[in-house]
Amino acid sequence: MNHTGLRLTGAAVVALLAIWAGARLYMIRSGPAHRGVAVPAGMASAPNPGDIAAPDAQALDLALPHPKVPALLPAFSLSDLKGKATPISVWSGKSLVINFWATWCAPCRREIPLLKTVASEWAGRDITVVGIAVDYQDKVLDFAREFKIDYPLLIGEQDALDVAAKFGMDSPALPFTVFTDRRGEVVTLFVGELHRPQADLILSVVQSLNQDRVQLQEARRTLAEGLAAILQNRAG
Amino acid sequence: MLCHARLRGDYAKVPRMNRTKVTASPLATMSLLLLLLGAAETAGAKPWWLRGVESNETDFLPPDVAFRVGARADGEVLKVRWVIADGYYLYRQKIEVKAESPDLQVFAPQLPHGVTKTDPYFGTQEIYTQQVEVGVPFTRLDAGAHPIQIKVTYQGCAEAGLCYPPITKVVFPDAGFKPSAPSVSAHPWEGMAILAGVFAFLLAGLVLRKGRKLDIPA
Repeated sequence: MNHTGLRLTGAAVVALLAIWAGARLYMIRSGPAHRGVAVPAGMASAPNPGDIAAPDAQALDLALPHPKVPALLPAFSLSDLKGKATPISVWSGKSLVINFWATWCAPCRREIPLLKTVASEWAGRDITVVGIAVDYQDKVLDFAREFKIDYPLLIGEQDALDVAAKFGMDSPALPFTVFTDRRGEVVTLFVGELHRPQADLILSVVQSLNQDRVQLQEARRTLAEGLAAILQNRAG
Repeated sequence: MLCHARLRGDYAKVPRMNRTKVTASPLATMSLLLLLLGAAETAGAKPWWLRGVESNETDFLPPDVAFRVGARADGEVLKVRWVIADGYYLYRQKIEVKAESPDLQVFAPQLPHGVTKTDPYFGTQEIYTQQVEVGVPFTRLDAGAHPIQIKVTYQGCAEAGLCYPPITKVVFPDAGFKPSAPSVSAHPWEGMAILAGVFAFLLAGLVLRKGRKLDIPA
């Protein structure tokens, strides 16, 4: 092949590559929009299956981003049921199960009996449950009385949202629960309703950490695998 | 990188004897483009060592993806529609529609019947799944001088056990039904990749032109 042929081939390859690059960018950029709702004004009628299909969160990379969970329990202070400012450091030296919840949230309410059980079962092993209600104080007081919540509760509105943000939950969805070991290291942040198998697994791993039987990285790996297995069993 | 540095400048300033080096550019450009696009595609999936403490967060959708709202004006009624992702629901009694623009008066929304959901810890609620359209009668006191804006409030949850705080949004019904799902932000590498594409075309032209003279009629 002569020089001209080589140059032509090179130019063609470059041009094709540029076209391919443009197409890829177009797809990366406009993919989700194509899967969105596309019913024009005045034409809504029977549902279009494309409208109501759940977006494939993973494929679209639209799932809630992993929160930037701090490695160590951040310092904060919120009001208790009597309105007294209580820093989280009053429980320093203990493992904490910090549950963010609200009275308007059905799964949060469903979790309360489990959290009460966990609080009483693990109290003798230096694991303390602390509830953080992102809610109005009067509603929380009524609810706490009705459900006989016997573990410590902290309450806040915007200040509780600010605390949630310290755990990486900038746009909070409830409930979520933070587990720390006795050194104040955040072991995991569990988003969504906690069930008995998950609570048991996480707390047993926290206990192993507290007794220096495992390292933090290994504990997190064990948790990731165990939680995935529980999720799979529930789905199955 | 020498070639690419030159591409950013004026090609004509490159001494003639060095121009032959540019013939290596298609391959270099191709590599650059591949690298850029590779970065663009993989940047979304962060490696575990950059994520910090693990959480199970990715199982849930952001609220604006789980619940998409739009509205249109149909005669004297505004039609506000929510499209709800599978496995998610909205509470009927938490839906509110209010006037946002001046001189707009909206009346009580006509909420269709939903599905009854009973929770031992939350009581019986009516919920909407999949999609719901709510009619909101309205009048305009300014004969259409202002664009219509309404403020909608709604609250919902995921069946898997997660609830979102009430969401309030301003919607422009005249703009037709528009999904409120957040637009996926432009990728950080996108501008670079587009620039690289433009340079690639320029390069293709230069490669083809090499050694030829422009035949411009006098």
